[in-house]
Amino acid sequence: MKIRNIIITLVSAIALLISASTVSFAKVVGDKIVLGAAVSLTGKYSSNGVHTQNGYNLAVERINSMGGVTVGGKSYKFEIIYYDDESNSGRAAQLAERLIKQDGVQFMLGPYSSGLTKAMAPVTEKYGIPMVEANGASRSLFTKGYKYLFAVLAPANLYLDVAIDLAVEKNGGKPVKIAMAFEQDAFSQDVRLGIVDAAKRTKSKIIIDDKLPKELNDMAATLSKVKAVKPDVLVVSGHTKGALTAVRQISEMKVDVPMLAMTHCDAAKLSKQHGKASEYALCASQWHKSLSYKDKFFGGGMKYAGDFNAKFGYEPPYQAAESSAALLVFKDAFERANSFDTKKVRDALAATDMQTFYGNIKFAEGGQNVSKPMVLFQVSCNDDGSKCENKVVAPTKWASAELVHPIPSWSKR
Amino acid sequence: MMNKNTLLYLGLLIFGLIGAFIFPAYKLQLSFLYILIVLAMTWDVQGGQMGYNTFGNILFFGIGMYVASSTQIAMFFSLAEWTDAGGEKTFVHTIPQFFQGFGVGIILSGIIPMIIAGVIGYGILGLRGHYFAICTLALGIAAGEIAGGIEIIGAGQGMTVPVWPKGFGSNESSSQFLYYLSFALVVVTFITLKWAYSTRFGLVLNAIRDNEDKAEAMGIHTMRYKIIGWMVSAFFVGIAGGLMGHINGYIEPTEIAFAGPTFGVFMVLMAILGGKGTLWGPLVGATVFHLFKEGFWTYFLGWQYVALGVLIVVIVVYFPEGIMGWLREKYPEKFGETIDEADRKAQVELK
Repeated sequence: MKIRNIIITLVSAIALLISASTVSFAKVVGDKIVLGAAVSLTGKYSSNGVHTQNGYNLAVERINSMGGVTVGGKSYKFEIIYYDDESNSGRAAQLAERLIKQDGVQFMLGPYSSGLTKAMAPVTEKYGIPMVEANGASRSLFTKGYKYLFAVLAPANLYLDVAIDLAVEKNGGKPVKIAMAFEQDAFSQDVRLGIVDAAKRTKSKIIIDDKLPKELNDMAATLSKVKAVKPDVLVVSGHTKGALTAVRQISEMKVDVPMLAMTHCDAAKLSKQHGKASEYALCASQWHKSLSYKDKFFGGGMKYAGDFNAKFGYEPPYQAAESSAALLVFKDAFERANSFDTKKVRDALAATDMQTFYGNIKFAEGGQNVSKPMVLFQVSCNDDGSKCENKVVAPTKWASAELVHPIPSWSKR
Repeated sequence: MMNKNTLLYLGLLIFGLIGAFIFPAYKLQLSFLYILIVLAMTWDVQGGQMGYNTFGNILFFGIGMYVASSTQIAMFFSLAEWTDAGGEKTFVHTIPQFFQGFGVGIILSGIIPMIIAGVIGYGILGLRGHYFAICTLALGIAAGEIAGGIEIIGAGQGMTVPVWPKGFGSNESSSQFLYYLSFALVVVTFITLKWAYSTRFGLVLNAIRDNEDKAEAMGIHTMRYKIIGWMVSAFFVGIAGGLMGHINGYIEPTEIAFAGPTFGVFMVLMAILGGKGTLWGPLVGATVFHLFKEGFWTYFLGWQYVALGVLIVVIVVYFPEGIMGWLREKYPEKFGETIDEADRKAQVELK
């Protein structure tokens, strides 16, 4: 029965293999502050995962080249260990554990999407590792009493409720009929709750309330209903794929709605991909380059957009901008804490009150950023549709263009 | 020979017991490995021993996960408020609450999937071959979509699992606790299956695989055995799911709980890699698979699934019988098989 020997050999080989892979404790090595991040490089969130990674990288480069982080009179440079979470929340949770336990990371950056952040937060919380995240907006992240989670973005329920207010306003203050379709994931479902609240507040009626599957490729069923019942507003949220699918099918099926409100238009490069077909779409955004916030690292939004474009060859969506902002927050907190003690850094993070090119950042008790409003922009094209741009239309303080309402019908476009 | 067996079991047991201390940083990966072993071994009850390729075992995994956590929460708090995304309340389990809830949750996470397996099995185990495979595949997918629509368990938002109570041991105790539970689950599953395969039950399963009609003609109530087999699998898979929920800390309907494309496929792959229809095959397969996967993830970032795909092709082409099957063919005498040279030659000539 030598087969037993083979199994014994196998087991010992595994043991050797595991023990051979070294465990490094790398929170601060030499002059480097090592941050851990799991981002989606493959899977359904891969395009936004790359935006996130690019945002992080640009900020790391910029901060390092401008003197790094000064703690205790010594200058440190940022470095990030990346893993691919495959857009899978199970994987994200394991990677968080792995970054902390095996790579010895003591400070974390967030992944892309609420679902993955939700998966990682219990782990970072357990080990008391401060995590500054830039892409998890779901409200449910901020009601769990997490002490080590900080989000530079506004919560998801605020994404599109402005659109409902806008629609009501354009309707002469009267309630509107809302049709909506949301992907079944943490983020989009929270956007949905925001709309439900807004509908209650304005006494508007929700006439279509559809759930769309993940990996969204078809929503024709919802759109046929929309065609039949003629709502005043159509709200769609489903990350990048949701935005692309919605615009493609709305233009194919020639669905006329007075207002189309969505999320993730800029991440989907909607105006570039669909050109004229995407015109008049109203999009929620955490950031827009035309906003007048400033900081000393990136200057303002326009300059950030220029630098980002020069390095990565495309206009930065807000996902990239908020990711860059996360690094600025970390730098600021390290310097104020003047220490690498996780508790002290955590307290410094909680006391953050600063302006970045991306917006003002100040965290509430739950960890969400409360001092930065959302903006809405509308895609607007020139006459022949060769050039489409995103123009901020709300809130009025930032508006650079007038809202076009109602959207002209397809027969006139 | 007996000595060697005892030595092997003792070695593995010791490895399991002290593993958490020798590789403290790898506790999670090891706990994960144990869960994968359970998944592969229980899949093999259907896929290997009984010849029914099921893709539906992931159903029990997900149900177990939801049942374990929901029970633990609902015993002390309102589940609806816990999962309500807009809720402003924070719930914290006290130490006794956590463990009472945990215990009841884990037990139910085995029993409820088992009952469901019995009910569903009664309905679909009459199907054979591809029809059964496709039917079970649909079960897993449907379950994910349904769970994504049930508000009380968080719907598409997912559900956070109760956290380890503060003030009871350190962070390490949480992962150690789950590590030992996962290991215990492997041991219990292994012993149960080893025993079951040594009885008439195991022989009947094999008879069903080899020729179900003949088995029936011999007076065996095959349906009964098929259902019981599936219930046994569901019991262990359900508990594995319950533990997995705690290991992850977060449950998501389609990516973690009813994760057909990952765990659902992995359990089949692991069993085939190790050699289906053998007791040790799934265990060896899961171990090798897990090592490869973690290795690819570390060293082929972005290419891990391509590498995994190549591995699968290599397995299917070069080791169609799995690692154990390959070894058995290569060294039959080590499996206690004797080959009559003359008989073998005669058979070759016949062909």
